[in-house]
This record gives sequence, structure tokens and C-alpha cells, in this order.
Amino acid sequence: MDQLIADLKGQIVVQLKLKNIKREDIGDDQPLFGGGLGLDSLDVLELIVLLKQKYNLRISNPEDGLKVFQSVRTMAEFITANRVQNM
Amino acid sequence: MKAYIRSAIAISPQKTFNNPAFLDDPAEYRNSRLTSIEPDYSEAIDPRSIRRMSRIIKMSVASALACLKDAGIANPDAIVTGTAYGCLEDTGLFLTNIIQENEEPVTPVAFVQSTHNTIGAQIALLIKCSRYNNTFVSGGASFENALQDALMFLSENNAANLLVGAMDEITDMSHVVLSRLGLYKRQPVSNLNLFDTNSKGTINGEGAAFFLLTNTSSPNDLACIDAVATFYKPEAATELRQLIDSFLVSGSINYSDIDLLILGNNGDSKNDEIYSQLQQSVFNGIPSINYKHLCGEYPTSTGFAAWLAANIIKQNNIPVVLNQGKIPKNKINKILIYNHYQNIYHSLILMSSC
Repeated sequence: MDQLIADLKGQIVVQLKLKNIKREDIGDDQPLFGGGLGLDSLDVLELIVLLKQKYNLRISNPEDGLKVFQSVRTMAEFITANRVQNM
Repeated sequence: MKAYIRSAIAISPQKTFNNPAFLDDPAEYRNSRLTSIEPDYSEAIDPRSIRRMSRIIKMSVASALACLKDAGIANPDAIVTGTAYGCLEDTGLFLTNIIQENEEPVTPVAFVQSTHNTIGAQIALLIKCSRYNNTFVSGGASFENALQDALMFLSENNAANLLVGAMDEITDMSHVVLSRLGLYKRQPVSNLNLFDTNSKGTINGEGAAFFLLTNTSSPNDLACIDAVATFYKPEAATELRQLIDSFLVSGSINYSDIDLLILGNNGDSKNDEIYSQLQQSVFNGIPSINYKHLCGEYPTSTGFAAWLAANIIKQNNIPVVLNQGKIPKNKINKILIYNHYQNIYHSLILMSSC
């Protein structure tokens, strides 16, 4: 899980072109939206594409997105759970 | 239909941003690609907003915000932009992503920002302007059409002011493609010697220029825009001469009233024939300067020419790099910009002192 969280932070910094933010600046449980990293609705789309491109995972239910994208940890938990389900 | 230019800002291949001395230190390029001299955008745009912006968006937004700041206007009554190629970098990125991802879902930002009206929208979002917002995409007449719309909007809609701009960018991909079409010089040439080459091809250029126009004069105005006209594919020089005649007659202007011509010569011998013909006929005896050795050739280069004209009128000074001492120092009250882009889009912009 720790390695996955570290990978995700790096991928988020690159995919969202975050300026002046390094992967180590992002807390595992830091809210991604609503005052956390200051991300917006366009970034949600970027994160959905990130999950598809890097982990081959789709979010079919929009309400799942609210839970999945709360923090890097919730993203990592979603990836882990769905990878297991797919196995 | 007359508008007062309260402020004019350009980012171009010359040092034109952040109020440097007026073209007294011209940048020299020894290839066929003139790239804009860009400022530190973090000083002009909120860093949180920059991360997704491509180069043309940054150039344009920085120019627009500086233009509004110079004019002391936070929120204009309208935003009108003109661009031929739009956000080329994002367009190329988006198309490349589609291929690389085998037509699977791709990142949305490049797609969202690949549209031509992205720039007008970005400016509006940043300053929270929900008023009239329009973008003109009409090849080499894009800026002129935006300008005409701006003049009509000011006269017909009780608008006090508006922001109008021109922008186009070069990307690596577009430069390769346009070079293959034979648009640019094959041999290295200094842009400062562009008009001495007498050969085929021109030099590629880019830039963003923004103007804050008002319908009432103020002591700080740079100049006025009196009239704008565009002509699509005039058949021959005689027809072009008639169109220019009509343009001036409609404004009750004589050729002798024009103090300075700014012409769109681009160093391509065939392209420049039209200017020579006009200078031997209707423009005969009127002092003239060229400008494309400073900004390069691109469809909205008249934005740079209008920025140039506004500053020449305001300062009553023609920089040495344009004049080279040939034009006597008389008061410059009236400037006519005549340009054609690939002999398809011809345009006239008449400007005067306020």
C-alpha cells in the first residue's frame, strides 16, 4: 500500500501539472478537493483518466468518485480493492 | 465607428512587454522562426491558474491582464479575440494522445483547451467577466473581424469599453508543416535584413496583442481606431486600388492626409509585389515602414502592427529599426495599416491621434 500511495502521488503531480508541489508535499489523507490541494472539476476528469491509463480501472458510478477521490489513500484503497476483485 | 485605445500590450518576438523602451533594442534572429520573448508569467498570472495553460494562452492572458491593468479597468463590457490557428499546442497534444492511447479515453485538458475560444474564455474566467465574449476565426482576417465587431459593439450596445486581442502561436509541428509547404526561406537570414533578400519565402512569427478600447476619449489614450476594412481575394491590383479608394472616401480621407503607411511586406518577393505596385500608384509619395521583420509573418500579425501604430502615434516617434532615418520627423497624426495574408485576406486599419 505504501508503495502504491507513493506512486500515486508522483503520478498526480505529473498528470495534473501541479506547480511548486512535490510528491512528498502531499499527505496520505490530505483532501484532494475543497481546500486541500485546491483541485477542481477538470482535475477529477484527469484523475479518472489516470486510473484508466495506469491501472485499467473505470469508475462506473459517479457517486463512487466522491469517495475514491477524497485523498491519495482512498484512491490507493480503491485500486487495491478492485485489483483484488479482478484477480 | 471610432474607438479610443486606452492601452495596448503586446508579447512578441521583440521586447514589447513590461514597458521597455520602444523597440530601441531589436532582437535579431538568424533562422526562419521568430519566437516570442516571454515574461515571467508568475508575476502576471496567478500561479494556481498557470499550470494548465499552454504558451499561447499564457501569452494572451498575460497581455490581456496587463492591458486591463494599464487602462485601470477591472472588468470590460466585452471580450473579443481573433486567432487563425487557435491553441495549436493543445490541439497537437490532444491528437497525439488519441493516437498514443489507441483511441481510448485521453486526458481532457488538452481537448478542452484546444478550442479557438479558450483564450477569451480563460480571460473571462480569471476576471469573472460574464458579458459578451466572442472569438473570430477567419484566417488572415481574424483580428480585423474581431476589431470590426469591437467597433460595432461599442457603437451599438451602450458599451463603455471592451478588450480586443489578436493571437497566434508557432509550434514545432506547425513550423515543420508550414515549412514543407514552402512558406519560409530555405537559407538562414537575419530578420533585420529580411527585406534585402529578394528571394522566395518569409519568416515565421507569432505573438499576442491586446487593446482596451473605449467610446470616450481621455488624456491617456494612445490613439484612435477610425475604420477597419477587409477584402477577400481581390482579383487584380486595379480592384484593390478601387477598394482602397472607396475605404478612404467613406471616411472622407484623402491620400495626402496619411502621414505614414505601415505595410505588411514579409520579404517574399512574390508576396511583396502587391505592396510595390500600390506604392507606385495610390500610395506613391506617402512615407512607409514595414513591420514583419520584427514579428514575423502570421495570420494575426496586424495585431502587432496596430500595437506599433498606437505607440508611434502616442510617442510621435518611429523607432530606428523601422525608419532608419528615411522619414522626416513630422507630426504623425494618421497611420494607415495595409496588409495582405497570402494574397487572400487583405485589410486596412486606419488609426489617428486623438
